[in-house]
Amino acid sequence: MKLNETQEQMINRCSRCGSCQAHCPLYLATGVEPLVARGKVELLEHLIEGRLEWNDKLAEVFSTCLLCGNCGDNCPNQVRVDHLVREARRDLVAARGLPVIKRTVFQQLLKNDGRLSAAARLVCFYQRSGIQRLVRAGKVLNLLPGGLTVKESLLPRLAAGEFRKLVPRVNRGKKSTLRVAYFTGCMTNYVFHRTGRSVLNLLTGNGVEVTIPEQGCCGLPALAAGDYDTAGELARRNIAGFTQSEPDYIVVDCASCLGTLLEYPRLFDDGGTFARAEEKVMDISRFLVEVLDIKLPPATKDAGIVTYHDPCHLKRTPGGKEYPRALLKMVSGPRFVELPADAGRCCGSAGSFNLEHYRLSREVVKPKIRALEVMQPDIIATGCPACMLHLEHAIKDASLPARVVHTVELLNILT
Amino acid sequence: MDKDTVKKIKSVVGSEYVLESPEERICYSYDGTARRGIPALVVLPGNAREVAEIVRLANEKGFPIFPRGAGTGLSGGSVPAEQGLAMVLSRMNRILEISRDDLLAVVEPGVVTGRLHRAVEKEGLFYPPDPSSLQTCTIGGNVAENAGGPRAFKYGVTRDYVLGLEVVTPTGEIINTGGRTVKNVTGYDLTGLLTGSEGTLGIITRITLRLVPKPRAVQTALAVYNRVEDAASTVTAMIRRGIIPATLELMDRITIRCVENYLRLGLPMDAGAILLIEVDGLPAQVAEEMKLVEDACRQNSCRALQTATDAAERERLWKARRAVSTAIVQIKPTKISEDATVPRSKIPEMVERLKSIGEKYGLHLPVFGHAGDGNLHPNILVDKRDPVEMEKAEKAVQEIFRAALDLGGTLSGEHGVGLLKKPYLEWEAGAGGIEYMKAIKKAVDPRNVLNPGKIFQV
Ligand SMILES: Cc1cc2nc3c(=O)[nH]c(=O)nc-3n(C[C@H](O)[C@H](O)[C@H](O)COP(=O)(O)OP(=O)(O)OC[C@H]3O[C@@H](n4cnc5c(N)ncnc54)[C@H](O)[C@@H]3O)c2cc1C
Ligand code: SF4
Ligand code: SF4
Repeated sequence: MKLNETQEQMINRCSRCGSCQAHCPLYLATGVEPLVARGKVELLEHLIEGRLEWNDKLAEVFSTCLLCGNCGDNCPNQVRVDHLVREARRDLVAARGLPVIKRTVFQQLLKNDGRLSAAARLVCFYQRSGIQRLVRAGKVLNLLPGGLTVKESLLPRLAAGEFRKLVPRVNRGKKSTLRVAYFTGCMTNYVFHRTGRSVLNLLTGNGVEVTIPEQGCCGLPALAAGDYDTAGELARRNIAGFTQSEPDYIVVDCASCLGTLLEYPRLFDDGGTFARAEEKVMDISRFLVEVLDIKLPPATKDAGIVTYHDPCHLKRTPGGKEYPRALLKMVSGPRFVELPADAGRCCGSAGSFNLEHYRLSREVVKPKIRALEVMQPDIIATGCPACMLHLEHAIKDASLPARVVHTVELLNILT
Repeated sequence: MDKDTVKKIKSVVGSEYVLESPEERICYSYDGTARRGIPALVVLPGNAREVAEIVRLANEKGFPIFPRGAGTGLSGGSVPAEQGLAMVLSRMNRILEISRDDLLAVVEPGVVTGRLHRAVEKEGLFYPPDPSSLQTCTIGGNVAENAGGPRAFKYGVTRDYVLGLEVVTPTGEIINTGGRTVKNVTGYDLTGLLTGSEGTLGIITRITLRLVPKPRAVQTALAVYNRVEDAASTVTAMIRRGIIPATLELMDRITIRCVENYLRLGLPMDAGAILLIEVDGLPAQVAEEMKLVEDACRQNSCRALQTATDAAERERLWKARRAVSTAIVQIKPTKISEDATVPRSKIPEMVERLKSIGEKYGLHLPVFGHAGDGNLHPNILVDKRDPVEMEKAEKAVQEIFRAALDLGGTLSGEHGVGLLKKPYLEWEAGAGGIEYMKAIKKAVDPRNVLNPGKIFQV
């Protein structure tokens, strides 16, 4: 395996101090060293020096990482193991190819937006036609290997139709002065239409013109799986769509997509087109607070106790921690309550991690669920639809009555 | 390790707690040093009985056991040798009791130190030992290394808080030492002997720790000096006034520059030293002590002084100190952390000697550490890929040890001997001292099963 200079320096800087143990959700859930950042660095060193070669066990170890970046945020030596793990997965794909399922998904579906819609419609039909209920009742799924029943319930219930096709391409607000391009992400597009509508309402209602340019998957699932080629192609297409109309800002409602868009210039050489646009890319909360300096009246309706979950990919962007809270406090005032520190980490969703490592992802979310059981909030707000999905599943499992919503949804409901 | 043995071990602890693949074993081949040794098997036992059974099996079959907590050690203490079994105690992590009336806690060895801090502080109690690694290291590892921390000057080190132990002996018996009382002189002080024994004399499976009431108030001061000597005389002046600060952290010029270059906090680049001072106790007493601290700083030519009482302000003053580790690796990626310790009065001389050792070998050698107890942390910054530099570092380390001993100090204030300081042990302990230690080891561990090759070669 070969790394670039920056990555090699990172490995060289890791002093094996073990500080990452205190921050890695997987280590905290399991207490075993192959799952923590430090263990992965040691294994990488063996790979680079040729003392180890890719095999099933090693592939499994490197697939078991949330890419949450908590280790890197807290590493005294600034080692970003999340980046290194991704790099390792890329090497793994080069050495052994992608697993068939992922290959099909990425190369057939994600690349081709049209076909994704077709596939989406199929799954949608399956859910709505009642076959799903039949299958569940008959426990047919139990006959399938690997606890597929629970996995199946992790799959999103698809909304009817695509958000991007249901709303106009250009949405003018009252006396629009700013022009924003909206990256909807796959989750808003196929699952959480309500998030998308809230974004449009809030923006147009505050004098912003919102365009929804030609776009597709941000590329994160492919990137996380080590398939840089697919990710690169998706990135190039999005870059084209979003730079063409020269918007004032590019607004994103999904923390995972945001994290990926912000990385485009470092991941793919597009001749600097996107590097210039990069400063305009921001999370919806940041846009509302920093650019619009929005002032929301305290809610007239009482939504009850509101708490907030920090998506990993949002909290390390500028204002990613403060802005959503500022907004929630505007509308909820003293009804906004923070989760305790040890319940504030990654929820364990991490893309398809929860499908591939179901039991482990349940362990990861446990501290949060325990804290929620004590707090008994009515609303859990967050800034990432992937977290929303995973949290919904986890609280249903724990029989908690709370509702999971996107920050903007709550703002939209309450104002 | 033969199949039969592995099978037996699995039947003792359960197969999910036995790691066999090379990939998993590699992840237990290190600690916080550059030493490596891949164990033949990794086992995570769940209780003392399981530990004892495996130790008896080791005696029977003749394989060594390498106890391990979180693997944050800085002397190679938990690094296994091939053919050995790494015994990881992290699963035994229950806090069994916190008693406000007896002022004590009973814990299993795998409890992370920081977690114990939080748990006892919730009860208004205080467990003072605070190694910088406290968010990850385990109490078992702290006891085995007799770990210290910034608060040691006022509150002492781990040894001062261990009342009693449950230990699996090297032959597989479960014994109890000490008890639940502060006073206990029934027989040899085995608790004292086992504390700091680096996993060579027994595996600690339960610990009874003394607690104290939590200080009600804390105040912090940050003082900047032109010369290290002035910082050192401030320390002496404070002690003469009868004040024992809870924290007394010193940063030398190189360290200050590294931090300033990294964080731009506005620290003066030409300063010779910075002292971070904290006093704690009852509010009225703390206020009075802080006045005396300020006087001591001013009378000893400090050129700038900041103080803070509330948590946020205090954290601001701590910022520079907390950034040191990250700041210094910006110069070179590899840091060799030493913990040579000298009597308090020799600090200025030791800082001077460290400076000339750094200059002699052309190495970056920032010094920051605990000025109250003379535990300076000289850090040699190198690139481990550069063999010439590594050789120079090796020589510099030897000179640092010599200097510390010349000044009446010790090779290691808190990290222990392990593998790294083994070649130098005789300089301090003498041949007779080592023989005495070996005699103890041979008597309790006739088959040399527990952590062989550490501290000395039997
Ligand atoms: C960033 C950093 C900062 C540090 N700061 C400090 C500091 O301020 N002060 C300080 O004193 N140290 C410090 N250390 C060193 C280290 O954290 C301590 O030595 C700590 O006590 C080790 O605990 P551990 O659980 O990681 O033990 P390990 O490293 O796993 O083991 C250490 C030794 O203890 C033995 N051992 C572990 N558990 C048991 C047990 N249950 N029974 C018997 N033997 C056992 C092992 O065999 C080994 O010899 C620091 C280390 C790092 C990486
Ligand atoms: S990744 Fe960072 S925190 Fe973890 S062991 Fe390496 S240097 Fe320490
Ligand atoms: S990215 Fe997250 S899961 Fe992966 S090693 Fe770092 S902290 Fe652990």
